[in-house]
Amino acid sequence: MEQLTTIGLNHYLTISAFLLGFGLFAVMTRKNAIVVLMGVELILNAANINFLAFSKYNGGMEGVMFALFVIVIAAAEAAIALAIVINIYKIFKSVDVSSIDSLKE
Amino acid sequence: MHSLIQLSIVVLLLPLLSFVILIFFNRRLPRRGDFIGVGILGSAFAISAYIFWSVIVQTYDPAFRIAWDFTWIDLGNVPGVGPLQIKMGVVIDNLTAIMLAMVTLISLLVHLYSTGYMAGDKNYGRYFAFLGIFTFSMLGIVLSDNLFSIYIFWELVGLSSYLLIGFFFEKQSAADAQKKAFLANRVGDIGMWLGILILYSQFHTFSFEQIYANLAAGQFGLSNGWLTAAGILLFMGCVGKSAQFPLHVWLPDAMEGPTPVSALIHAATMVAAGVYFVARIFVVLTPDALHVIAFTGALTAFMAATIAITQNDIKRVLAYSTVSQLGYMVLGLGVGAYSAALFHLVTHAFFKACLFLGSGAIIHAMHHEQDMRWMGGLRKHMPWTFATFTLATLALAGLPLTSGFMSKDAILAGAIGFAKVEGGGIFYLIPVLGFFSAMLTAFYMGRQIWLVFFGESRTHLKPADDHHAGHHAHASHDEHTDEHHSEHGVHEVSWNMRAPLVILATLSVFFVYSPDPLDGGKGWFMKMIQTPATVVGENNHQKGELLAAGVAAPTLPEAVPTVAAHGEAPAAAAGEHGGAEKGGHTYADPRQAEIIHAGHGAHYTAIYISSIMVLLGISLAFVVYVFRIIDPEQTAIAIQPLYLFSLNKWYWDEIYEATFIKGSMLIANILSWFDATIVDGIVNGAATLVRNFALLNDGFDRHVVDGMVNFTAFTVNTTGAVLRKLQTGKVQTYVVMLLLAVFGYFVFYLTRLIY
Repeated sequence: MEQLTTIGLNHYLTISAFLLGFGLFAVMTRKNAIVVLMGVELILNAANINFLAFSKYNGGMEGVMFALFVIVIAAAEAAIALAIVINIYKIFKSVDVSSIDSLKE
Repeated sequence: MHSLIQLSIVVLLLPLLSFVILIFFNRRLPRRGDFIGVGILGSAFAISAYIFWSVIVQTYDPAFRIAWDFTWIDLGNVPGVGPLQIKMGVVIDNLTAIMLAMVTLISLLVHLYSTGYMAGDKNYGRYFAFLGIFTFSMLGIVLSDNLFSIYIFWELVGLSSYLLIGFFFEKQSAADAQKKAFLANRVGDIGMWLGILILYSQFHTFSFEQIYANLAAGQFGLSNGWLTAAGILLFMGCVGKSAQFPLHVWLPDAMEGPTPVSALIHAATMVAAGVYFVARIFVVLTPDALHVIAFTGALTAFMAATIAITQNDIKRVLAYSTVSQLGYMVLGLGVGAYSAALFHLVTHAFFKACLFLGSGAIIHAMHHEQDMRWMGGLRKHMPWTFATFTLATLALAGLPLTSGFMSKDAILAGAIGFAKVEGGGIFYLIPVLGFFSAMLTAFYMGRQIWLVFFGESRTHLKPADDHHAGHHAHASHDEHTDEHHSEHGVHEVSWNMRAPLVILATLSVFFVYSPDPLDGGKGWFMKMIQTPATVVGENNHQKGELLAAGVAAPTLPEAVPTVAAHGEAPAAAAGEHGGAEKGGHTYADPRQAEIIHAGHGAHYTAIYISSIMVLLGISLAFVVYVFRIIDPEQTAIAIQPLYLFSLNKWYWDEIYEATFIKGSMLIANILSWFDATIVDGIVNGAATLVRNFALLNDGFDRHVVDGMVNFTAFTVNTTGAVLRKLQTGKVQTYVVMLLLAVFGYFVFYLTRLIY
C-alpha cells in the first residue's frame, strides 16, 4: 500500500512510456488519418508528461515551459494536420492513409 | 635574218592561223569558213612558190643553204646531262624549198578538192581546221633544223593524222583505224627518240649541222656499233611514219579517213616525212644501217605490191601501192641513191595524190561505193577523171614519158649499182625485188584501171544487203550526195574537184622535171638534190679503202661496157671511181662515190629491165582482164593458197593479233593476276590484319570498357530497385522505418555500452 501512496518519478515515466507506446501503435497501425493524428497527440502528450515529471523532480521551471510550448505547438499542428486531412479527403475522397501513396512519386 | 627565212616562218605559221580560226569560229563563219582554209593555203603556197623560185630557179646552186635558229628553252646546267639548251630553227636548202612548195601545193589542192568532196558533212568546218594543223605540222618537219623540233612536229603530224583518220569516228572501223595508226606510229617514234638520245649523249646538241660537224671531226665517243644502232633507231621513226615493213599495217586501215585526207596525208606528205627524215640524217648512217634500210625498203616494196594485186577496195589498192612506193624510196636511200629516192618522193607525191583524188571523185560519183568489183564502165561518164587517173597510173607504173619512170628507174639503177659495189650475192636481191615489184605495180594498176573505167557497169551485181549497210555507214554525207545524184546516176565531178586532178596530172609528166624523158639525171631536180657526203668516221673510211682496193675493181669493168654502149666516155667512168666526181660534187667517201658511179653506169640497164617488166605487167593485166585469156577467178582458185596469202595481206594483222596483241593480253592478264592476287593480297592482308585487330579492340571495348560502365549501371539499377521497394509512399511505412532506425541505434548504442 505504501508503494501506492508514494507516487514517484517512475510512475510518471511508466505512464508516459505506455502513452508513447499507444501513440506509436496508433500511428503505425490505424488506417484512418484522424486516428493517426490522435496517435500523434498521444506521443506528444507522452513527451509532455516526461517534461513535467522531470521538471517536478528536478526543481526547475524549464520543463513546464517546454510542456506549455509543446501544447501550443500541438494545437497549431492539429489545426494544420486537420486542414491537410480535409484536403486529402477532397482530393482522394478518402482518409485511409494506407491507400494514399502518392508520396512515392 | 634572211628574208627567205622570214617568209618561210610566215608559210609555217599561216596554216596554224587557219587551224586556230577554223577550230574556234567555223560555226560562225559563212560556208563554215572553208574559204579561210583555202585562202590561207593559197597564200602559203604563193609564198612557198616564191621561195622555190628564189632558191631553185634563181640561185640554182646545189650547195645552197641558209639557216637561222634561236634558243627556245635554256635549262642551264642539268645534273648528269650537262648544259641543256633546246633550240628552234629554220633551215632552207634546195630540198626544203622543193618540199615546201610540194606540201603547200598539194595541201592547197586538197583543200580546194575538199570543198567539193566534203560538202554537206556535219563537221565540215572542223575538217578544214584539221587539215590546217596537219599542214602546219608537216611544214614544221620540213623546215626544222634540229632533231628536237623535228621530233615535236613529227608527233604533231601523228596527232593530226590520228584526228583525220578518225574523222568519221562514229564508225567503229574508223575509230579502230585511228588507234591502230597512232599506236603503230608510237612504236616507231620510241625508236626514233632513242636514236636522238644516242646522238645527243655524244654531242650535246640536237642541231643537224653541229651533229654532222662533230661526227666528221671524229667526236663520237662510242663504237661504230652504237652509231649503226643510232641510225637504225632513227630509221624506226621512218618505219612507223612511212609504213615500212614491220609497221606498215596501219596505212591501209588509215583509208577509213576521208579520201582527200588519204591523198594529202597517206600518200603525198606525212608518209613521205619518214623518207624526208632519213634523207636529213643520211650523213650519219653507217653502211650497216644503210643495208638494213635497203633490205627493209625492198621487202616492203615487194610485199605491198603482192598484196595490192588482190585487194578489191579501190582505196586499199592505192594504199598498198603507196606502201610499195615508199618501200622504193627507202630502198633508194638505203642503196645510196639519195637524190633518186627524194626525186621519187616528189614525183610520187604528185601522181599518188592525183590517184587518190581521182579515186575520191569516183567514190563520190558512185555514192560511196569503194569496191572495184561493182564499178566498171566509168570512162564514158567521167572523162576528166579517167584521163587524169590514167596519166597518174602510167606514172605510177613507170611508163616512159612520165615522172615516175625517171625517178623509179633512177632508184633501180642505184640499186643495181649498189649490188655491184657490195659484191653481188644477196645484195642482188634488192634490185631483183625492185624490178619484180615494178612488174606487179604495172599489173595491179592495169587491173584497177580496167575494173573501174572499162567494161560494163557492174553496180547492179552488188548484193543488195551489202549496199544498204554501206549506206548506213556513210550516212553523214550520203544525205547530201543522194540529193545530187540519185536522179541521173554517175556523172563527172564539179570543177573544184576536177582542177586539182588536172594540175596534179600535169605534174606527173616528164617535162616538169627533166628535158630528157629517159634520164631524170639531166633534170633540175637531180642537180639540185645531190647525195651529201657521209660523215661516219674511220670504219667507213676503212670500208671505202677495202672497196677501192678489192671489191670495186673487179665489179667496175662489168659496168663499163653498159656505160660505153650509151656513148658516155668510158675513161671518165673507169678513171674516177676512187674519189669520184659527178655534177661538180666531190665525195669524201669512196664507197658512196662508187655507188653513185655504178648507179649512173647502170642507168640504161635499169631502164631496159624496168621497161620490160612494166610492159610485162601491163600485158599480163591485159591478158587477164581485157582479153580474158586467163580467167582471174579460176586462176585465184587454182593458186588458192597464194591468192589467200595475198588477199589476207600476208596475214600480218593475224600475226600481230596472235603475237603482239595476244602477247600483250597475256602479259596484261599475268599482271592483272599479279595485281589481283599479290598486290591486292598484300593490301587485303593488311586490311584483314587491321580488321582483326579492330575486332579484338571491339571485343575489349565491348566486354571490358562497356562491361565496367554497364556494371556500374547495373549496380545502380539493382540498388535503385531495392530502394524503390522501400519507398512505398505510405507515411506509416516511413514511421516504421524511423522506429526501426531508432531501434537499431539503441541496439548499437547499448551493445557499445555493454562491451
